[in-house]
Formats: sequence, structure tokens, C-alpha cells
Amino acid sequence: MSFGALSAQAKEALGRGASEVGTSTTTGDGGMTPEERGQSRLLVYQYLPSRYGMNPTDLRAADAIEVVLGQGAKPGGGGMLLGQKISDRVAAMRTLPAGIDQRSASRHPDWTGPDDLAIKILELREITDWEKPVYVKIGASRTYYDVKLAVAAGADVVVVDGMQGGTAATQDVFIEHVGIPTLAAVPQAVRALQELGLHRKVQLVVSGGIRTGADVAKAMALGADAVAIGTAALVALGDNDPRHSAEYRALGSEAGFYDDYQDGRDPAGITTQDPELAARLDPVEGGRHIANYLRVLTMEAQTIARACGKAHLRHLEPEDLVALTVEAAAMARVPLAGTDWVPGAGSGRA
Amino acid sequence: MRAVLPGAPEVLVTVAGDTTLLAAPVGVDDLAAAVRAAAPGALVVGSGTDLTVYKGTGDARTLARTYDLAAAAGWQGLAHTRMATESAVDAEGCHPFSVGPDQCLVHNGSFANHATIRRELRREGVVFDSDNDSEVGARFVAARLAEGDDLHKALRLLCERFDGFYTLLVTSGDGFAVVRDAIACKPAIVAETGAWVAMASEFRALAGLPGIDRARIFEPEPETVYAWTR
Repeated sequence: MSFGALSAQAKEALGRGASEVGTSTTTGDGGMTPEERGQSRLLVYQYLPSRYGMNPTDLRAADAIEVVLGQGAKPGGGGMLLGQKISDRVAAMRTLPAGIDQRSASRHPDWTGPDDLAIKILELREITDWEKPVYVKIGASRTYYDVKLAVAAGADVVVVDGMQGGTAATQDVFIEHVGIPTLAAVPQAVRALQELGLHRKVQLVVSGGIRTGADVAKAMALGADAVAIGTAALVALGDNDPRHSAEYRALGSEAGFYDDYQDGRDPAGITTQDPELAARLDPVEGGRHIANYLRVLTMEAQTIARACGKAHLRHLEPEDLVALTVEAAAMARVPLAGTDWVPGAGSGRA
Repeated sequence: MRAVLPGAPEVLVTVAGDTTLLAAPVGVDDLAAAVRAAAPGALVVGSGTDLTVYKGTGDARTLARTYDLAAAAGWQGLAHTRMATESAVDAEGCHPFSVGPDQCLVHNGSFANHATIRRELRREGVVFDSDNDSEVGARFVAARLAEGDDLHKALRLLCERFDGFYTLLVTSGDGFAVVRDAIACKPAIVAETGAWVAMASEFRALAGLPGIDRARIFEPEPETVYAWTR
């Protein structure tokens, strides 16, 4: 989630919260802000088609670089930031005019396939003196092949983002109809890595709809090394808080239902560039909320691992899972509860 | 059997309960391959140049007579009775798991991440006989020993990799080793004298050994590998 989509205060709060519990945050599109860099112990710098704010100094200031090929909410789609969120500062960081709708490209300008991406990754390694891990993020669609290609191109980490991931300020038709669910993507990604003999070597980060510790435990059991969150962090920061009910109603929504983040009128001051609204979020308090949320998320996942007899969350395995619906069983490739039936198993379909 | 073995040697066959013992002056792998070819339904429960493995169900005293253990001779012995938790009560489910040359493993407990480790070993080409968690431990140790590690190192690596509960006793052609998980909730007791070393789950199994009153008796510490070589 970029500075632009989010306020500088929200970005700082995310950095504070993640740093407090020892995990990383990611810049998103739109460049690296001093607030975010300053408050993030581990900051992943996203390298996107738009190249907003991209420069070698910030690449070197990052702890890792994430080449973004797609997002779960809109695999194959580009970005859109409406004019009301293009403040003077956002515009300056993106070298674009203030107040004008901004559209970012759906594909990288200088490479079109994994062969070119391999060269691009080498370029990024050279700029950063071979010191920074390089992630490749894909929107889940033909995940089995994309993971293999990302690894072939030289990724140290593959991030697989499923279709439940946020809205990415994209069109309804993209949000609802493009991409595949996280649950279906993870086994594909794991199988690709296992076939390459690189599972647990090239790390797999899974995102898209992760909200509770149960989501974390299930993703880890299916073979993810880590998970990433977006929307859940915004809610933890105070988005959709009932104390703003009157204002949500005035915007034609309700606390708990508001998702018109693209409009920049977020009463919680998170997905906005309006100085008055943004000032409502105290980055220090917001950081504490994020840290609390991440601790609970971790503890919930650990509780499930303990219940399965594991000394560590990473010891969860697919054999610990059964599915409650035929659809989930087919997608996750685990048996339907109470049976040994895995629908679609052996179909060979990636 | 004899016809398929190199040099058509004499094969000594001894039937003892559910177990049939075959011995011939040929390589262990050749003999095992010949047995598998001659009796595809049979499971090779152990092999080696200095090892006999008997498996069966029934009363322990009766089985000891069936196997004529009173007349057995050798420098190392291992006996295990099993309370089955997950797999069937039959000869094939019995410990020890003897999956490497002159090696045996017995396991009290339950591994919590054996499916993942089995998958990794299979990827490396290791073949499994069962879905038993203890077999995964035995295959892991056998793979480490085949790589040239000694028992001590193999069990130290097992401790790093395996989750769950275990007290393990592993024998090889050189000696035996004992290791327990971090919590060490499964019992173990060791007795050591100048003449012999013995390990059991309970002291009562050791109480009748000659010179037990002068033995150094101790409980193995958690996640510490104890190894003895001859």
C-alpha cells in the first residue's frame, strides 16, 4: 500500500508496529518516505512498472527489493490514483501534476518475460552491491508456472497474492472476476517449488485475505514460509471504527463496510491525503495497535500449531488440514473432512 | 531363491513364527533383492551381516521361546514391545525399524512433523515401507549414516529436524545410541558397567542383569545424544 493510497502518518504507523514485533513493511507504489524508512526496521522497497520515486539511493536504503508483477486484486491490471489523493507531496514524489488522476502501467516498460526479468534482477543486484534479497510478487492466476518462472529469473523470495487481496483501487470487474483464490494458489506455488527442489530455500510469502491466526496457520501448513497482510492492518489501525459511524453514514456507508478508499475521504485518516483527516491518526498510537494485532495474529497461529502437537508454527504440514467443503478440498488439495477424498487430485491440472 | 543368487549358494532358511530368517554367503543387497523377487508379498524387516530381526504378535515370553532367544549369542541385543497407537497390530508394524545395514531403531513417542520429512526423503529417492512415523526416523538416521555421519551426529541432526515426543534407541554395526526429545516425557534409564551397557524404559527390565548393583545408573538428559561403540 503506497504513500499516496495511504497517508504519511499511516505509513509511519505501519512501520512502527511492524518494527515493534520484528517484521517488515513494504513501500508500495509511489516511492519511499522518510517517515516510513525512519520507523521501519526492515523495509521492503517495491519496484513497480510506474517507477514512481524510483532512484538508486532509495534502493540501497531498502532492506529488500520486491519486483511487482501483479497484485491479487488485479493480476494483469495497472493502477489508478484519483486526483483528489494527488497532493503536492504525492505529486512531487511521483513527478506528476497535483490533482490530476494518475494511471500506472500494467506492465514493466523495459522487460516482457522471465528472460528479461533475469537481466533486470541482475541490474538491481548490481545497484545494491548484491546485498539485498530480491522478491518477485505475482498476482495469483497461473501460479504454478509463474512461480517457476520467477525462480528461473532469479527470485530469492516469491510473493503470491491471492484474489482476496484488498481492492487495489481497481474496477469491480477486476476485483470480482480476475485471479484465483489464495487457497488455490498456495498448493500450486508449493508444488512448483518442490519440483524445483527449492521449497524452503526460495521463500514463499502468501498474501490475500489473511486476517486471523487461523488464516496464517492454514497458509503455513500448506507450505508458505510467511504471510503478508494489507487490509487487516488498516482495520487494526482503526479503519472502519464505529466511532466514525456518523461520518461513514454521511459518505453513504457504515462503519465495518466502508471501502471507498480511492476517494481519499477516509474518516479514520488512513487512506487519505487530506491534511485534516490525516492528522486524526497518531502514528505512535497506530503503531501500538498494529503491534498488538500482529502479536494476537501470531499467538492465534501458534495456538493452532500447539494443538496439532507442533513445537513450532513452521512444523504445520498439509496432513494437519482437512477441508469443510468440496470446493475447499479441491483447491487446497487436502481431503474433505471425515474422508480420504481429495477432489481433482491427479487431474494434473496446474 | 538359490538359482537367482550369484554362485547358487546354499541358503539357510529358519522359520520362527511370522518371521523367516534367510542366510547365505552372498552380499546383503543381493540376498534382499532375491528375497523380494521370490516373495513379492513379504516385507524384508531387516538385513545385515551381523544382525537378526524377529517380528511377531503375541505374549513376549512365548515369542522369546519361538525365537529361541535363550540360545542366541552376540554382542548386542534389542527387544521392544509395542502398544500400537496409529497403525495395525501386526508383525509388519512392530519395532525395530531396520532399514539400513545392521541398523535398528526403536521409538517410544510420536513424531509431529513426519509427513514433511517423509516427503523430503522421498524426493531424495528414499523408499518407505509404511506410513509409520517411526519409520521416518529410521530412514532419516539410515540416510545420515549412509552419508558418512556417525550415530552421534545422525541423532543430533534428528533432534534438530524432528518435532514431537521421542525416546529413541538406535543400534548399528558399531554400537548403539540413545536420544530423547526436549521434554523427555517418555521414560529411559541407562545402566553402565565396565563389562556392559544397557538401556530400558523402566528399571525393572534391568534389575536382573549381572552386576546391576555395581552399575552406574542414570536417566538420559533431554536432547543429549549418548553413544557407545564396541
